[in-house]
Amino acid sequence: MGKTDRITERQLSVLIFVSLLSPMIRILPASAVLFAGRSAWLSTALALPAGAALVAFTRWTRKNAPEDMGLADMAVAGLGPVVGRFFDILCALWLTFYGGFIARSAAERLLATVYPNGNTPIFVAVMLAVALFTASGLTKTLSRTAEIMMPILVAVIAVVLLSALPDVSAAHLLPVTYRDLKGMAYGALPIFDVMAASAYFLFLAGRVRRPKSQRPNRFPWLIMLALVAFGVTFFTLGTLGEKLAVAMENAFFMVIRNIKVLGVVERVEAVVVTIWIVTDFIFLAAVLMIVAEIWRTVTGVKKRAVFVVPSAALSGASAFLIAGNAFAFQRWSDFIVPAVNLLLAAILIPAVMAVGKLRRRY
Amino acid sequence: MKKAICALLAVGLALTATSCSGLTLFSNYRRLENIELVRTVTADRDGDGVNVSVYGTAGEQSEARMYERSGPSVGVAMGKLILMPLGREAILSHTETMLIGEELAEISIRECLDYVERFSEMRLDTGILIVRDGTARDLLAGLSGSDTPASDTIAGLSLNIAKVGEGYFFTAREIASSMADNGCALIQCVRGVKEEKLFEARGDLNLEPAGFAVVKDGAVCQYLTDEETLGVILLLGKYKSRNVDLALPDAAVTVSVDLAETDMKPVFDQDGRLAELRVKLSLRANVINIAGEADITDEAVRRECERELTEIMTGAVRAAVRRSQELKLDYLDLEGVIRRSSPLKFEDMPDAWEDVFPDLPVTVEGSGVLARTYDIADPPELSGKEDKNPWEKLIESLKGS
Repeated sequence: MGKTDRITERQLSVLIFVSLLSPMIRILPASAVLFAGRSAWLSTALALPAGAALVAFTRWTRKNAPEDMGLADMAVAGLGPVVGRFFDILCALWLTFYGGFIARSAAERLLATVYPNGNTPIFVAVMLAVALFTASGLTKTLSRTAEIMMPILVAVIAVVLLSALPDVSAAHLLPVTYRDLKGMAYGALPIFDVMAASAYFLFLAGRVRRPKSQRPNRFPWLIMLALVAFGVTFFTLGTLGEKLAVAMENAFFMVIRNIKVLGVVERVEAVVVTIWIVTDFIFLAAVLMIVAEIWRTVTGVKKRAVFVVPSAALSGASAFLIAGNAFAFQRWSDFIVPAVNLLLAAILIPAVMAVGKLRRRY
Repeated sequence: MKKAICALLAVGLALTATSCSGLTLFSNYRRLENIELVRTVTADRDGDGVNVSVYGTAGEQSEARMYERSGPSVGVAMGKLILMPLGREAILSHTETMLIGEELAEISIRECLDYVERFSEMRLDTGILIVRDGTARDLLAGLSGSDTPASDTIAGLSLNIAKVGEGYFFTAREIASSMADNGCALIQCVRGVKEEKLFEARGDLNLEPAGFAVVKDGAVCQYLTDEETLGVILLLGKYKSRNVDLALPDAAVTVSVDLAETDMKPVFDQDGRLAELRVKLSLRANVINIAGEADITDEAVRRECERELTEIMTGAVRAAVRRSQELKLDYLDLEGVIRRSSPLKFEDMPDAWEDVFPDLPVTVEGSGVLARTYDIADPPELSGKEDKNPWEKLIESLKGS
């Protein structure tokens, strides 16, 4: 592994935060509202501790591992070369498919919100082509891009959400009682699901420069992600109401379409949606990079970049084959992808790490 | 070399991204001179199909124009219209209002709402209005004068209707949300009134609010009276102000009711059944003018005014609730109010809300206060009474009490 391509923990955190904005906005608020009803805006409060516990657990299991050991190496060390490699290949295949899903999802959103007469293949191809170049490069280049884009994205989210405040109605958000706790817990599941996807970035952990002293378990990126989840759910639900929010495919973007910034600037959604593509692009590039990193470990080939092109090609193929139309794609988006994601990122990956830890392999 | 490549790329990007060269990367790029900016859209019944028209301008300085097309559906008619007006392309993203003719609204407004919600150029904050006593197209054409663009007239009414307490412009979002939550919704109605033209540059018609229409199952099923409409905006918290005439024995006092707050409390019996809904209306009004003889500085006169004011306003609230119960349509969202007030008791109610709602006893109480008379208290030349020394008045009132 090249010693020059190293990033800091902070850079990895920013990369995770910017990447996960994309699925967070895709699934919220509809999936949380489906479970929790009008109390969905409080579900983040339950998802955050669960997400923090998962991140703290994976961090603890990796504590004594060598600095350049990523999750792919940990799986081989913990499960043995055969089972470990099988696990790695399983993750690589899923993430290759997931990359295609991200590209298709971004394309579908652009078509539904801004470019009704556009066509999916062009958007998918452009997304993959741009991500391909970035993923072929250095990890620190991608992380730096995320670092540069983060303040812009955060500012856009803040402005957009605050501008939506006048349309928020308490009648859409209240009442919430202790009886809603069960629903809120179910509503927290999709939010936790997205937070758990941060586990995929453990495959890049071998590229992270370890700080001289172990830092306490504070995860600012997770808190920021939770704030975004809360904001998106609160403002969309408060503006549209429970039933209308669920009925819409891109409820958050419908809210954006209505906002007026400071009562002066309106029709800003094209700018916002376009900026939003940045999160999809960074997530897609990160996923392709992770896939290449896994294949590098599995095959022992030193140069990671050689795996990026075939991975991107397979992701592209899956983007087109995943669903014939937007309705079928919605099913993948609502149920299949989150379920597999939860199984892999929240259960299998921590379990593999725990096995290695129990066997004292790191 | 690198610098030269960067410079070439920058030039290429500038030419394609900005469309300066006539080339563009954007599939939906439109030149300013080729677009017609639409502000108002109408939809009317036309035989078995729909007639739609758009009203807009080609730019800030150009005169407003109106185009129409008919088709079997709103989508088909709008499709023709968007691409055909005088070679310009109609841009709908700045549409402020959609007017729907009464005849079409009574058959279905679902298609119109669906178009607003689904078509990516339209916005959910588009105001939806129903045109009574005529077609939406004729109203729009009649409102339009060379100095009074119809869209400005509608926008003006939209801004001020709540300030005169005669209604509220619901947007497509509010209507869709109410239909999703309550199964029914309210839409503001307007009508065109033919009056003498005070100046040539104005249109032939005046725009007037005409109460609310009730929408159920995707079509207008009832129209509310002015009194019921006032009650609705009071209960929905959409009220801002209204001038009300109070009839006293020897005078008519006009007051501006600039504060009206409702407080609703459900009462549950021992079995957990919803026994009653108590509505308390708090009013504050100020004297605008007095016709006839009334000494507004006299407390008895003021009490009489307050009693009269309370009666009028609580009467409107009672009428609104009564009509909603008669129609068995909870467009006032009383369910939401009770649920928020007593969430656990509401959930534990033995009877379903739909069964309870039509016969639920609703008590409306009000308290009105005349807050001020502005600078003129009671000048003798206005009330016709001889002015009294304030000290004499105080002594008299003390004696009386």
